[in-house]
Amino acid sequence: MSGAARSARPLRAASAGNGVLLILIALLIALTLGMAQLEPLFRALFPDLGNPLYARDSFLNLMLAHIGLVLVSSLISVTIGIAAGLFVTRPVGREFEPMVSSLAAIGQTFPPAAVLAIAVPLAGFGFTPTIIALSLYGLLPVIQNTIAGLGTVPQTTLEAARGNGMSRWQILRRVELPLAMRVIIAGIRVSVIINIGTATIGSTVGAKSLGTPLIAGLVGNNLAYVIQGALLVGLLAIVTDLLFERLERRYAFGV
Amino acid sequence: MIELQGLTKTYAGKNVVEDVSMTLETGEFGVLIGPSGCGKSTTLKMINRLVPLSGGRIILNGDDVTELPAEQLRRRIGYAIQSTGLFPHWSVARNIATVPQLLKWPKSRIDDRVDELMAMFHLDPAEFRHKYPHQLSGGQAQRVGVARALAADPEVLLMDEPFGAVDPITREALQAEMRRVHRQTGKTIVFVTHDMDEALQLATRIALLNGGRLVQYDRPIEMMVKPADDFVREFFGQADLGLKLLSRRWVHQYQRPPSLAHHATLPGLDHCWRLDDAGRPIVLEGARLDDQHRHTDVRAEWIATPEMSMKEALSRMVWYRVMVLPVVDGTGKLIGEVGMQGIMGIESDGGLHAGEPAS
Amino acid sequence: MTPPEGRRLVGNRVLTTLLVAAVASVALLPFASLSPNRLVSGQPVMLWQALAGWQFATLALIGILLLVAALAGPLPRRIALWLSLGATLPLLALDLQALGAYAHRALAEASPAARVSQGATFWILLFVSALIAIDALQRLRLGPSGRALYGVAALAVIGVCFSGELLSPLSIMREFANQRDNFIDQLVRHLLLVAGALLPALLIGLPLGLLANRRARLRNGLFSVLNVFQTLPSIAVFGLLIAPLSALGRAVPWLGELGVSGIGVAPAIIALVLYSLLPIVRNTYSGLAGVSTGALEAARGMGMTPRQILWRVEIPLALPVILSGLRIVTVQAIGLVVVAALIGAGGFGAFIFQGLGQYAIDLVLLGAIPTIVLAVIADFALQILVSLSRPSGTR
Ligand SMILES: Nc1ncnc2c1ncn2[C@@H]1O[C@H](COP(=O)(O)OP(=O)(O)OP(=O)(O)O)[C@@H](O)[C@H]1O
Ligand SMILES: [Mg+2]
Repeated sequence: MSGAARSARPLRAASAGNGVLLILIALLIALTLGMAQLEPLFRALFPDLGNPLYARDSFLNLMLAHIGLVLVSSLISVTIGIAAGLFVTRPVGREFEPMVSSLAAIGQTFPPAAVLAIAVPLAGFGFTPTIIALSLYGLLPVIQNTIAGLGTVPQTTLEAARGNGMSRWQILRRVELPLAMRVIIAGIRVSVIINIGTATIGSTVGAKSLGTPLIAGLVGNNLAYVIQGALLVGLLAIVTDLLFERLERRYAFGV
Repeated sequence: MIELQGLTKTYAGKNVVEDVSMTLETGEFGVLIGPSGCGKSTTLKMINRLVPLSGGRIILNGDDVTELPAEQLRRRIGYAIQSTGLFPHWSVARNIATVPQLLKWPKSRIDDRVDELMAMFHLDPAEFRHKYPHQLSGGQAQRVGVARALAADPEVLLMDEPFGAVDPITREALQAEMRRVHRQTGKTIVFVTHDMDEALQLATRIALLNGGRLVQYDRPIEMMVKPADDFVREFFGQADLGLKLLSRRWVHQYQRPPSLAHHATLPGLDHCWRLDDAGRPIVLEGARLDDQHRHTDVRAEWIATPEMSMKEALSRMVWYRVMVLPVVDGTGKLIGEVGMQGIMGIESDGGLHAGEPAS
Repeated sequence: MTPPEGRRLVGNRVLTTLLVAAVASVALLPFASLSPNRLVSGQPVMLWQALAGWQFATLALIGILLLVAALAGPLPRRIALWLSLGATLPLLALDLQALGAYAHRALAEASPAARVSQGATFWILLFVSALIAIDALQRLRLGPSGRALYGVAALAVIGVCFSGELLSPLSIMREFANQRDNFIDQLVRHLLLVAGALLPALLIGLPLGLLANRRARLRNGLFSVLNVFQTLPSIAVFGLLIAPLSALGRAVPWLGELGVSGIGVAPAIIALVLYSLLPIVRNTYSGLAGVSTGALEAARGMGMTPRQILWRVEIPLALPVILSGLRIVTVQAIGLVVVAALIGAGGFGAFIFQGLGQYAIDLVLLGAIPTIVLAVIADFALQILVSLSRPSGTR
C-alpha cells in the first residue's frame, strides 16, 4: 500500500458489532492458552505428521513476544512520528514539510520485508533489527497522517481560536490535536497492522514471534504448525484492527 | 407543443405529482413555480423521462413520450440544470457539441453550430472554445450549459432552476439573455424556478404547483389580477403587486420622445437633454427632485434600454433621484425618455388597468 | 524563530540540514569495509582513506556548490535550486565511482579472497543526493515530465556506473556475478508473479467496484470482507491457503497438473489477488462515486445511453482514482511477492531468505535492494501515469 491511500481511508468497512468483537477476543485468548487441547483435532487432520502441535515454545510466550515487538516498535514510531508531524506543521519546521511528506510517501513504497532484511547487515540478527525495521517502517504512516490530520483543521477554526485569545500551545492541545486525532489514529492503526504482519516475518531474522511456528512449519513441511501460527496471528490482526476502528470512531466529530 | 394529461408521480405510495394537466403551445415560455418540494422538478423530469411516469400521458408534438425510446426522446429535448452538469473533462466546445455528437452530425456542421451558439451567448469562441468548465465563472458556465442544451436545435428546452446558484446581478443578466434567446429562437421552454421575480420576467405562461397539484395555469398578468384562490394570492403577495406588475412591463411600452435642448423653451417642459455629437445624452437639465434647475451629467447607471423592465427603470429613478431616464439604443444614442409620470399613465398596451381585480 | 527576510544567512534550511548530515556521516561513519574473506566481518574504511586526491577535491567542490546554493545571499532562488538539483547527479556518480575505484585499488593489493563492501557513508551520500533532488524538484514545482526527465538522468548515471567493470570488484557485485542467471530468472519470476496477480485482480476488482457503485446494499458487506484480507498478515494468508490448495490439487488431478498445489505459485497468486482487491475495488468505487451527480444527470438528460455515460463520462473522470488504486496494489504486490518466497513461489525473496538462512548478507542485499528499486520505479512510473490520466480540464 502506498502513502496516498493510507492517509485517507474514506470508506470504512461496516463495523462489526460488539458481539463479534467479543467473540473474536475470546477466541484469541482461548486459542492462545488452549491450543494444546486441540492436539487430537490436528492429529486427525494431519495423520501423517508425527508432531502435529508446535511444542518448542508455548503459544502464550509467542503471543506475548509478538505483542511485545509490536508494542515497543509502535511506541517508538508513534512518539517520533507525532513529534515529527508536529514539528513540520509548526512555523519553525514548515520548510521541512514537503520533504518529510514525500519521504514518508516514498518510504512506504519500500516492501516491509525488504526493509526488515536490510536491517540485518546494520544490526545483526534477533530482536534489535526487527525493532529497528518495525519502528522505521511504522513511523511513516504516523507522520503522514499526523500531517494530514493537522492539515484538515479548518483555517477558520484556527483563526477563531486565535481570536479568542488562546495561546499557540492551547490551540494545539485543545483544538488542533483533538480535531486531528481521528486521522492520526487511523495512521497508527495502519502502522500497527503492518507491524503485526512484519513481526511475523521477524522470525526469519531471529526474533521470536507468532511467525516462529508458522515459518518453522513452512520450512519443516509441517502444515499443522503453519495453521496454528497463522490462525493466531490472523486473529490478533483482526482484533487489533477492530479495536482501532472503535477508537477512531470516538474521535469522529460528525465527520 | 407539450400536453401533460393527468400526470401523476407516486413515491412510496405518496403522490408527489397528482393529476397535472396543462398544454404549452409551441413558442411559449412556461414556468413551473411553487414552494419547495411541490413537485416542480419531478414534473419537469417526467417530460424527458428522467423520472418515469406513474400515471397520465405526455404528448410532445403529437408523440406520446413513453412510446419513444428514452435516449431518442431526450436528444429531441434540451436540458439545463442548476449545477450546469458540464463535463469537467471536456472543453467548452466539446461540451456544447455533446448532443450533436450523439446524433452523429458531420464535424463541420458541429463546429459551425458551436460557433453560432457561442456567439448567441456572447462567449467569444477564440477565448472560450478551448477552456475547461473549471476555468469559467458561474455565469459563463450557465451560459455554456444552456448553449449545450440548445445545441441540437431541440423541439423543447427544459430548464431546472438554471440560474438558482448565481449571484443576483449575474442572474438578471442571464434572465435578460434568456428572454432574448427565447425571442430569437422561438423555442418552447419549460422552466422551473421558485423565484417569483424570475417567473414574471420570463414567463408567457405560469403554472403554480402546490403539494403536487396544479393550482393555477395562466398568463402572468391573469395570475396576478385574477388569482384562483387564496394560495395563489398569497404566493404572488399583495403588498408589492404594483411593483410585480411593473416587472412585466417594458420600457419601450412607456417610452416617449425625448425633450431636447431646443424645446427647452416650450412651456410645460421642466427639463431637457443635451447630447454629444454622436447623439448620446450627456447632460440633463432640471428634473432633479432636490433642485429643479440643476444641470446633471448623465451617468451610465441611470440609462434605460427599451428591453428593461419598468420595475428596474423605476428603481433607478428612485435610487438616483431623477424624474426621468434617457432611453438609449445599442449604440448609446438617445431614442426616448421614460419618466415618473409615465409610469402612472397608460402609455401603450392597455396599461395597468387592463385587468384590474374586480374587487 | 525564523529571522526576518534579508538578514537570513541560510536560504534553504532543508538543504543545509542535509549537508550537515552528510558531513557528519563522512566524519563519523565508514564509507566502505574491507575484509580478508567472505566470512569475517570487515575493517571500516573512512571516506578520506578511500578517496583519491582528485575525487576528494571534486567532492569538496560539489559540497561547496551545494553550500552556496543553500545560503540566502549569493544566488537567485531558482538558480540555486537548479544548481542543487544539477549537483546531485555528479554527487551520485562520484559516490559510485569512488566506491568502485577504491575496491579496485584495495583488492589489487589484497588476497583474492578479500572483499570490499559499501559502508554507511556510501548509503547516506546516496540518500542525501536523492533527498536534495526531491527537495529541489518540489521547490521548483516541476511537472511530471520534468520529474520523469530527472529520473531518467539519474537512472542513466547509475546505469553508466554499473555498465563497465567499475563496480564489479564489490562484494555484492561478485555475488551478483555468481548468481547472474539465477538473478535474471528471479527477476522475471518476480515480475510474472506481480503481473499474474494484478491481471485477475483487475478483471475481478473493476467490475466489483462498478457493482459497489451501482448497488449500495452490496457495498458494506463487500468492503468488510475485502478489508479483512488487507488486515491479515500476508504470511498467514499464504500459510492458510496451503492446506486447502494441496487438498484441491490432489483431489482434482488436472488442476494438480496445472500446478495447483499447496506451495508455490498457486497460493501466492491467490493471496496476492485477495490483497489487491480492496484497493482496486475501493478506488474504482470512489472514483465513480466522485463523478458529480450534475454531470450524470445532464448526461442522462441529453440522451446518452448508460453505456455511453459509463465510457464517455464516468470512466474518464474516475480514471485517475482507479489508476491510483493500481499504483497502490502494484507497489504492494511487489513487496508481497518477497514474502511469497517463503512458500516457494520464487522471486527476489528467495535471495533474501536464502541469504538470511546462510548469514550471507550480500545475498540478502541482492534480493532486498532490487525489490526496493523495483517498487520505487513502479510507484514513480504509475504516479506519472496517474497525473497523465487526469483529464486536462481538471489537472
Ligand atoms: N427519488 C425520490 N424518491 C422519493 N421521493 C422523492 C424523490 N424525488 C423527489 N421526491 C419527493 O417528491 C417531492 C417533490 O420533489 P421535487 O424535487 O419535484 O420538488 P421541487 O418542487 O423541485 O422542490 P425544490 O424547489 O426544493 O427543488 C418532494 O417531497 C421530494 O421529497
Ligand atoms: Mg427542484
